[in-house]
Order: sequence, then structure tokens, then C-alpha cells
Amino acid sequence: MNLELQKGSRSKALASIIIGIMVIFVFRLFYLQIIQHDYYVDIANVEQIKRLSIPAKRGLIYALDGSLPVPLVMNQTVFTVFADPQTTNNDSKIIDTIRRVAGGNARPDLQELLNMKESRYQILATRITRTQADMIKSENLSGIGFQEETQRVYPEGALASQALGFVDFSGVGRYGIEGGLDDRLTGVDGLLQSVTDISSVPLTIGTNNIDQPAVDGENIVLSIDRNIQSYAEKALSDGLTRTGATKGSVIVMDPQTGKVMAMANLPSYDQAKFFEVTDASLFNNATISVPYEPGSDIKTFIMATGIDKGVVTPDSTYENTGRIQVDDRIISNATQGHIGTISLQYAFNWSFNTAVVTVAQRLGDGSSITREARDTIYDYFHNKYRLGQLTDIELDGEVAGTIIPPTEADGNAVRYSNMTFGQGLDVTMVQVTAAFCSIANGGEYYKPTMLAGVVDKDGNYTPNQTTKLSTPVNISTSRLMREMTHTARSAFYTIVDKPGYYIGGKTGTSQVLRDGVYSDTETIGTYLGYGGSEDLSRYVIMVQVSGDGKSLSGPRDALPIFTDISNWMLNYLEIQPKG
Amino acid sequence: MSYQFAQNYSSRRRQNWSRNQNNVAFVSAIKLGPVTHTVLIALMITVLGLIYLTQATRATGYDYETQKIDSQIATLNAEKSDLEIENARLTSLETVKNSSVATTMTAPVTTEYAQQ
Repeated sequence: MNLELQKGSRSKALASIIIGIMVIFVFRLFYLQIIQHDYYVDIANVEQIKRLSIPAKRGLIYALDGSLPVPLVMNQTVFTVFADPQTTNNDSKIIDTIRRVAGGNARPDLQELLNMKESRYQILATRITRTQADMIKSENLSGIGFQEETQRVYPEGALASQALGFVDFSGVGRYGIEGGLDDRLTGVDGLLQSVTDISSVPLTIGTNNIDQPAVDGENIVLSIDRNIQSYAEKALSDGLTRTGATKGSVIVMDPQTGKVMAMANLPSYDQAKFFEVTDASLFNNATISVPYEPGSDIKTFIMATGIDKGVVTPDSTYENTGRIQVDDRIISNATQGHIGTISLQYAFNWSFNTAVVTVAQRLGDGSSITREARDTIYDYFHNKYRLGQLTDIELDGEVAGTIIPPTEADGNAVRYSNMTFGQGLDVTMVQVTAAFCSIANGGEYYKPTMLAGVVDKDGNYTPNQTTKLSTPVNISTSRLMREMTHTARSAFYTIVDKPGYYIGGKTGTSQVLRDGVYSDTETIGTYLGYGGSEDLSRYVIMVQVSGDGKSLSGPRDALPIFTDISNWMLNYLEIQPKG
Repeated sequence: MSYQFAQNYSSRRRQNWSRNQNNVAFVSAIKLGPVTHTVLIALMITVLGLIYLTQATRATGYDYETQKIDSQIATLNAEKSDLEIENARLTSLETVKNSSVATTMTAPVTTEYAQQ
């Protein structure tokens, strides 16, 4: 049979039309699939490929309980319950269920919220737990939805709140360790890019899938011991009640490592309810962010400087007249009497200003605070004891303070004579405590730190190494200063200490500057001391109490708080008494 | 079925290459026309397409299975996390201090230490 189409037949015409249509199809498909390829692929990707951010978990914060980490800040998934008033159909059941399950987390005006029929979104309850959310879900309420979010929770309540800080509503750490180590705690969000179905279930088809897991934030272990912190806060609270002071701070530090064992401030706040705080100054950690004139505590440092330079010893004597002249100023002792030739140890016990000014003079030519003396004092105070400069402790909001160098016009003899008894310089408690640790531990300056280590994802705790920065004074100076401070404490307050231990310290009472003038009616009381055995200091405690318009003294108001914590520490650290 | 010789022209070179080989070829008596070929190719393409679709569907089925397991893991992790928080709260200092055991404790009158 001859299948060849006859010329001019209808079949041939139809074949030509079909071929023509096919050619059009081919060209159209070529245009769509080849020329417009990228354009349509992009459109398809928008519809089919989803990019999901996998949120990194914020790192947990632990404290120590002895040597074991215990959680101090954790993450909890909580839910916001919302309603679409246009689709709810059983308001009374919804209100009853929400009130019954969410309790205080439910909004008070539920009926009003559900009556807003023009709205599609009304929040009925916030921060409910997963169990509560499951209970509400089990009621199968129409028009009710849930939004999941993560919040920080604090199993130990408001313990160490100013040292911890908080995480704001945008997920950023503010103040304290949350602010200081925000980068380490935050982690890095992961990315999931995949073709998904209509329910957003990722499918393995497609060639551009990305599964980049999130890197969770580091779990950080603070050097704070929760037992010491709790006791320090209690002792400070009791002390404020006893003395009438309105503000107080305590630092407990391990002098052998520089690790902060407790850091307490009052008044404080509940970090779980940071949004209810109306006075932002409550967020500040006074131990690092409020520089002050340290008063007589600083006499420990000028005595150590004199001994370390070899110009004085505790037994060195001077002629005490109750006052001493520096340039055009007369500097007097706070306590009068004891006129005559006395030893520096005796003067130290009584905290005489004339004694420390004398030490400063002996660092110069013996009769005046020369430039050489001022250079030496500045070198020790600023460079060796690291006063007036940031310690780089891992807390947000640290302030450096000020020590005016002798190269400046204000760094004259009068200022440096004032500095020897704690006026004319601004320092923070953490600076003073860290510097005092170097005097109490044999002469080594350790960087003050809040970190004890990290906990990995499997829960294994790895302690940090301590960082020794310098050696401000030699070991013999440290030994003599331990003796001097022990003798100073024993001279008046030995009865308050547990027998068999080696405790030393120095009181401080500093006037407050008001409008550029030292107030006679407002003073800050401080106490700075160490405790342990004769061979080894196990802790350094610094206490500060203050209040607007309050006249507070070191020996009367701060020292009892030190003693309270110190005696408790001796038991807690299980230190053996001598004899 | 029958066999027959194929009488094809072979060049001298080809003859050299084919030396020691039989110059006999099998030729089937069944003839497949162009329509049959087209249908067979279409069938093969259809089968291959079905195989592809079967595999793709099976892979997608595994995706749903994976998603379900991932979801279960996430739920269990969340529950574990909630339990850890509850554990931390129950063992916190405040809870311990306010426990019935702690509130009935008394301070020792004297303390003695073992000598080293």
C-alpha cells in the first residue's frame, strides 16, 4: 500500500497544520524552558523552597555548689495563647478554660478581648508552660492558637541578679554576665533550606537543599558558689537592716585564683521580672560600675608599697603630732591623741593619716612627697595593683575609675598625700579586692574572674585555668602585710572571730563628695579582709555599706558583716583551726 | 526459525580484521516495523517514568517519616528540658531551706574538730 500523502490532499494540509503547531510549541517551549529558564526557576523556588532559621539555644549559666556546677539560668519553652475572635464560637468555654489553666498568666479582660470581632488576633494568656498549653489544646477550642517562645528561668530565684543580668525581649543579654558574655552565650542560628510540601514538611527532592545545624551558645559555669552567694546576700541584708544603710555590696574572692565566689548588691531586683523595674540603677552592679573613694582601706596598699620599696617596716617609727603639713594643706588624723613617737604598726591599727603620709614622704626625700615618690605611688597603685583601670572581668558595665598620674598638674603632692588615705582617687570594689588578694596570697596578682569553666553539650564540666598577670609585691612584703592587717584586726576585734584561725583586715570610712565638697554627714563604711590559716589565705571579703545622707563607718557598720560571712566561710570551707 | 548466510561485501581490510572469525550472522525472521518501534520506545519511556515516580514517592514517604520522628525528638527534648528545670527548682537553695526537714533543724551548741 502506498502511504505517501497525495500532493494537495486534505491529509497533507492537516499534516502541515499539525507540524506548524508543533513548531510553534517547540519554539514556545524553547523560549520558556531555555531562554526564560532562570526566571521560572526563581518563581518555582519561591513557591517550593523554604528557608527556615534554626534558632540556636542560648547557653545555660551555672554556679558552683562546692565543686559541682548547678544551674542558675536555664531556658524554658513557654507559649502565648491567642484567639481569632472571628472564628471563636464558644466564648464561655474558652474563658473558663484559659482562667482555669493559665491562672495569673491569663489576661483579666478575656470577654472584652473575644468580643473584638473586627480583630483577628487577641492575646489571651502569656508565658504558660507546655503542660498548660497541652491542657488547653486538649479542649479542642475553636479559634485558639499558640505561639512558642523561649524565656530565661531562674531556679534559684533572684540570687546574684546583678551579677547575672538578664535577656531582654529581643534576645540580647543586658548587664552582668548575660551582657558581658552575650556573644559566647548566644550561639549561631542554623539554616534549613529545602523543597517543602504544602504543610512545610521538608522533602529530600531538589538539588539546593541546605541543612546547616545551629551552634548552641556555650554553657558557662560561674565561679560563684551558690551557698556563699546566698549567705553573703543574707548577711548583707541583715547588716543593712542593723545599720540603717540603704545600699550595700559584698565581694568574696579566692585570693589564690582571683575567682569571685560571691558578688552581692542590695537593693536588688528579680531578673525574671526585669520589665517591672522602674529604677534602672537597680540593674547596675555596684561592685564594678560605681567607682568610689576607698578611704582607709587604701592604707594597706601604701604600707605595702613602702615595705616593698624598703623604705619602712611595720616597726619603723615616726613622730605623731596628730597632723602633718603637705605644701599648704594640713592633714589631720581622724582619731586624735597618741602623740609622740609611735610605730607604723601602731599607727596602722589606729588608721592614722599622718602615718601613711609619712610613708609617702619616705618614698621621696623623707620630708616631702617628691615627684619620685609620686611616680612610685602611681606605679604601684595603677600599674601593679591595677587600681583605676578596667579589670576586664566578664561583666557588662565595668567602669575604670581614675587615678591621676603625677605627670598631670592635678597629680601634685597634696593629691598624692590624700591618695595615701583613700581620697582623690576613684576605684571600684572589684579592683580593690583583686589588689588586696595579691597582698594576701604571697604577692601574685590574678585577673579577677567570674568564670570557673564550661559545661559541654554532654554535661561534662571543664574548669578554666587561672590567669596570673603580675607580681605587684614580693613574698616577704605580702607576709609582713598579712601580719600587719592581722595585728590591726586583733588589736580591737579579735573577740568576734572564731579562735584558731588567721584573720586580718582593714577598716575604711570615706567621706562622700557632694557638689565638689566632702560631706561631714555622709560617709561610706568599708571593710577589706582575708581569712584562713596562718599559712594560707582562703578567702578575701570586701564589704561596703552606704546610703544617701547616712553616716556609716567601717568598724561599726561594715566590719560586722565581714565577720558574719568570715566565720561562716571558715565552716563552709572546712578549714581546720590551729591548736 | 531458520538460518541463512548473509552475503555482504567486506573490504580487504575488514577481511584482515575478521580473519579467524565466522562471517555468519544471525538475522531474525521477525520484522519490526516503525510503528512497533515507536510503541516500544514509548512503553520503555513510560516504564522508566513510572520507576522514577515510584522512587521519588518512596523517598518523599521517608521524608514524612523523618519529619514525624524529628518532631517526636523535639517534643521529648522539650519535655526533658522542662523536667530539668523542675529538678533544678526542687533542688534550689530556697526550696531546700524551706523544706520540712530544714525548718526543723537546730544549730549545734558547740562544734569540735578532729585534730590533724
